[in-house]
Amino acid sequence: MKDKKKILEGKLAKSRLGGGQQRINTQHAKGKLTARERLHFLLDDGSFEEMGALVTHRSKDFGMEKHVFYGDGVVTGYGTINGRQVCVFAQDFTVFGGSLSETHAEKICKIMDLAMKIGVPIIGLNDSGGARIQEGVRSLGGYADIFHRNVMASGVVPQISAIMGPCAGGAVYSPAITDFTIMVENSSYMFVTGPNVVKTVTNEDVTSEELGGAFTHASKSGVTHVTAANDLQCIEQIKKMVGYMPQNCEDTAADIPYNLGDEIREVLEDIVPLSARQPYDMLQVIHGIIDADTFFEIHREYAKNMVVGFARLAGKSIGIVANQPMYLAGVLDVDSSKKAARFTRFCDCFNIPLLVLVDVPGFLPGTDQEWNGIISNGAKLLYALSEATVPKVTVITRKAYGGAYDVMNSKHIGADLNYAWPSAEIAVMGARGASEIIFRKEIDAADDPGAKLAEQEAAYAAKFANPYEAAERGFIDAVIPPKNTRRKLIKAYTLLQNKAVSLPRKKHGNIPL
Amino acid sequence: MNKILVANRGEIALRVMKTARKMGIKTVAVYSEADRHSPHVKFADEAVLIGKAPSSESYLSMEKIIAAAKETGAEGIHPGYGFLSENPRFAQLAADNGIIFIGPSPYSIEVMGNKLAAKEAVRHYKIPMVPGTEEVITDVALAEKIAKDIGLPILIKAAAGGGGKGMRVVESLKDLPDQLERAISEADAAFGDGAVFIEKYISSPRHIEIQVLADTHGNFVHLFERECSIQRRHQKVVEEAPSVILTPAMRSEMGSAAVKVAKSCNYEGAGTVEFLMDADANFYFLEMNTRLQVEHPVTELITGTDLVEQQIRIARGETLAFKQEDLSIEGHAIELRIYAEDPLENFTPSIGTLSTYTVPEGPGIRVDDGFEEGMRVPIYYDPMLAKLITYGKTREEAIQLMIAAINQYRVEGVATTLAFGKFVFEHKAFQSGNFDTNFVADFYSPETLYTKNAEELKIAALAGLQLYLENQKILKTPLSVASNWQKNRR
Repeated sequence: MKDKKKILEGKLAKSRLGGGQQRINTQHAKGKLTARERLHFLLDDGSFEEMGALVTHRSKDFGMEKHVFYGDGVVTGYGTINGRQVCVFAQDFTVFGGSLSETHAEKICKIMDLAMKIGVPIIGLNDSGGARIQEGVRSLGGYADIFHRNVMASGVVPQISAIMGPCAGGAVYSPAITDFTIMVENSSYMFVTGPNVVKTVTNEDVTSEELGGAFTHASKSGVTHVTAANDLQCIEQIKKMVGYMPQNCEDTAADIPYNLGDEIREVLEDIVPLSARQPYDMLQVIHGIIDADTFFEIHREYAKNMVVGFARLAGKSIGIVANQPMYLAGVLDVDSSKKAARFTRFCDCFNIPLLVLVDVPGFLPGTDQEWNGIISNGAKLLYALSEATVPKVTVITRKAYGGAYDVMNSKHIGADLNYAWPSAEIAVMGARGASEIIFRKEIDAADDPGAKLAEQEAAYAAKFANPYEAAERGFIDAVIPPKNTRRKLIKAYTLLQNKAVSLPRKKHGNIPL
Repeated sequence: MNKILVANRGEIALRVMKTARKMGIKTVAVYSEADRHSPHVKFADEAVLIGKAPSSESYLSMEKIIAAAKETGAEGIHPGYGFLSENPRFAQLAADNGIIFIGPSPYSIEVMGNKLAAKEAVRHYKIPMVPGTEEVITDVALAEKIAKDIGLPILIKAAAGGGGKGMRVVESLKDLPDQLERAISEADAAFGDGAVFIEKYISSPRHIEIQVLADTHGNFVHLFERECSIQRRHQKVVEEAPSVILTPAMRSEMGSAAVKVAKSCNYEGAGTVEFLMDADANFYFLEMNTRLQVEHPVTELITGTDLVEQQIRIARGETLAFKQEDLSIEGHAIELRIYAEDPLENFTPSIGTLSTYTVPEGPGIRVDDGFEEGMRVPIYYDPMLAKLITYGKTREEAIQLMIAAINQYRVEGVATTLAFGKFVFEHKAFQSGNFDTNFVADFYSPETLYTKNAEELKIAALAGLQLYLENQKILKTPLSVASNWQKNRR
C-alpha cells in the first residue's frame, strides 16, 4: 500500500513539474509565470481542483514516445474566483512549448463540456507555440474540436481568453470567438502568419511585436480588449472583469450591497461646455454617474471615439456604451461601430443592462469610411442595440444628429427610457450645416451673406438645437438636470429589472456581418 | 492656426495642449514607444508615434516631427522646453516646410544660444555684464593672465552650455591648467563644442530672471522677475515671483535691461533673460533662454496672463494686447519642481512605477504634470514628475499653502523631491527671503529628512494595508447566488 501511495506521489510530483525545473527557470527569466503559478494567482486559495493531471500524449512518431510528460502541456480543472465557480485551462509552455496535441485538446474540450453542463464561465490562459507538428492532422482536429465548443458555448457561458505567450496560426481563432481577450504587453503576440511568412509573401519587414503584439491588437486591430503590463496584472484584470458578469445566460450578475443616499452628483453640471464645438471628456460623465472606481473599460486604446465598458450603478452591474467627444468629436465610424456593437451583444447575451450616453455629430464621411463599409458596419450597431432585450436606457448629453441619433439607442429602436440633458441638440444636423442647405438662396442673395447665415443659424438653433422638439414628440421621456442623472438611472434600472420582451420566433437573426 | 503639433512630452506637452484647446485649436501629440500611454497622448486630438524611447530617435528627430506635422496637417509646432526648443535648425526646417514655429526666429535662437555671440549682440545696449573674456579660450597662459586681471575666483564656462555642464570654478592659479582642460573636454562631450570662456566667479549670487514678450510688430514688454536661487546640482528646484529683494526701482531697471537684450537679437515670442545678482544687489546679464521656461507658471499667476496663449497669438502675427503700463504684480506665486529623485541619496534619479499618485487640489493650487497613477517613470527622459505651484495674496500665504499642498500630495513607488521641498519652505532662511544659490550646500543635509520620513512611511504602509483589505471586500461577490440554470435548462 505504501508503495502504491509512493507511485501516485511520484507521478503527481512529475506532473506538477511540467517540462522540468530548467524550462520553468527559462519561463521565469522571460518574466512569465508558469501555468500553475498563473492558476494559483487566478483562483481563490486552495480552490483549484485539477482534472487530467496524468494525461499523456499517444504519439509514436518521430521518437515522441520517448518524450512523455504528465499533463501534456495544459493544466485543466475548476476552482473559484472570489467565491464563484469557474472552469479553467492554462497552457504550459514548459512542455513542448505548450503545443497542442490531440490529448491536450481533449483535456480542454473536457472542461469546456463540463462548464456547459453546469453553466459556469470558461477562462483560458493561452501560452502555446501552436500545433504539435509531430501529430499532424490529429492536432488540427483538436483545434477544430475546441473552436466548435467555443461557438456552442458562445452566449451560454462567458468565455475569457488571456494571451500570455505566443498564439499563432489557427490557434488564434479560439480566443477570437471567445467574449474577451486580454494580452500581456511585450510577452504575448497573436497572428495568423508570423513575420517570416509575411516577409516572404508581402515583402514587409515587421517584428512580432509590431505585427501582433498587445499594443497592435489593442489599438489597431481591436483583437484584444484589454492589455496588461505583466502576468499578474493580467490575472487581476480577469478577476475584476468576471465580477461584472453572471455565471451564464440564465442568470444576472450578482449585485454588490449598496445603501442609497441622495445620489445627486453636482459634478455632472459643469462637464458639457457651453460651446457645441468644444470637446469634453465623456469619461468624466461616466465617472460622475457610476459608483466610485467601478469603471472597467473595454477596448480603451481602440476606436477612441467610442467608450465602452462595465460599471456598477448602486451596486448593480451595467454595460456602458458612450460616444467620446474628445476624439473625432465622438463620430461614428467603422471601428467604433464594431466596437460598440460587439460589446452591446455581450451585455445582451448575459443580461447586463445597457446605458447609452450620446454625444454624436453623425457618421464619419469620406472614401476611406465608405469603401470600408461604414454602411454595413454602422448597421451592426443599429442591429445590436435594436435587437437587445436587456434594459436599455439612453442619456443624450449634447449632440444627437441625423442617422446617428437613430442608431444610438433611440426610443424608436426599442430603448426603454430616454433622457436628455438641457444641453442636448437633437436634430438632423448642426445648425450651421442645416442653415447652409435650407437657406442657400437667401444667403447667396443677401448683401452680407455671413450675417444672413448667422441669422438663419441662430433661428435654426433656437428651434432644433435643443431637446424640446424631441420631447414634445415623446422621443425623449424626460429632460433632466445633469446632476439628477445618477438618481434617475438608479430608479430606471430598478424599474426595468423584471423587463421581459421576446423576439419573434426565429432560428437566429442575420446581423450584417 | 487651426491645429498645432506639440513637439514635446510630459507636463509641458499637456500644458500647451490645454491652452490650445481653450483657444479652440486642435492638437497633435507626438510620442515615443515609451510614452504610448502618457496623458499627453491621450489628451491630444491626434497622436503620432515617432520612434523608439531614446529621445535621439524620437523627440529629437526633426525629420520625423516635421513629417508628423505634415501628415496631420498641423499648421504650427510648439516645441515646449528642452528637446528641440532652442535648436535654430529645427525652427528653420519648420519654416522651410511652411509650418509656423511657435517661438523666436532661427536667428534669435542662434545668437542667444551661444554665450559669446550673445555677449557680442548686447554689447551696444549697455547691459551690465560679469567681467570676463569675450572670446574662446584654449591657451593656459592667456587664461592665467585674464584670471589675474579680473581677480580670483573665476568661472570657466562652456560657450554652448547650460545646466551646469562644462562649468568649473577655479579658486587658485595652480588649479587653472587642469580645470581648463577638464572644462573643455566636458563641454566637448556634452555639447559637441569644446569652446569655453572665462568669467569672474560671483560666489554667492542670487539667480533672478525676467520674462519678456515681444510681438512681430516691434512691441516689447517684460512680465517682471522670477527668483530661482534655490538650486541643486546647478539646476533650479524652487522658483517664486516676485523676488523678495527687488525694489520697484530695481525691478524696472532690470526689466528694461531685459527688454534691451530681447531687442538686441530682434526677439519675437516669449523669452527669459537671466541675471545674476551679487550680495551688493549689482546685477549682471547671464544669458537669454529663447523658449518657454519650466517655471513660467509663477509669472502667469502674478500677472494673470497665459504665456502659451501669448506665444500662439504672437506666432499668428497678432499685436500684443497690452503695454508695459498695463502690467502689474498681483499676489505671490511659488513653484516646486517635483523630481523623481531621492533627496536622501544626493538627488540621484529614482525610477519605478507610480503605484500611488494623487495631486492636491484647491483654490490657489496648480499642478502641471504629465503622469497618472500606475504609470512607469521612463528612464529615458528628464525625471521631473510635476510642478506644484501655489498662489496667495502674500508670500506667507503662498508658502503656507505650499506646505499644505505638499502634505496632500501622495506619491508612492518612486522617491521625490517633495519632502525636500517641504524642508525648504519650512526653513527660516527661505521664509525670511535671505538666501542665495548656495542654499542647498549651506543648509541641507539628508539627515534632516530621515526622521520625518520614517514616521510618514509607517502611516503610509498602514493606510495602504487598510485600503487593500477594503478593496478585497468590494471584489468579493456573494458565495452562493440563486441560479436559474437548472430550472431553465432541464
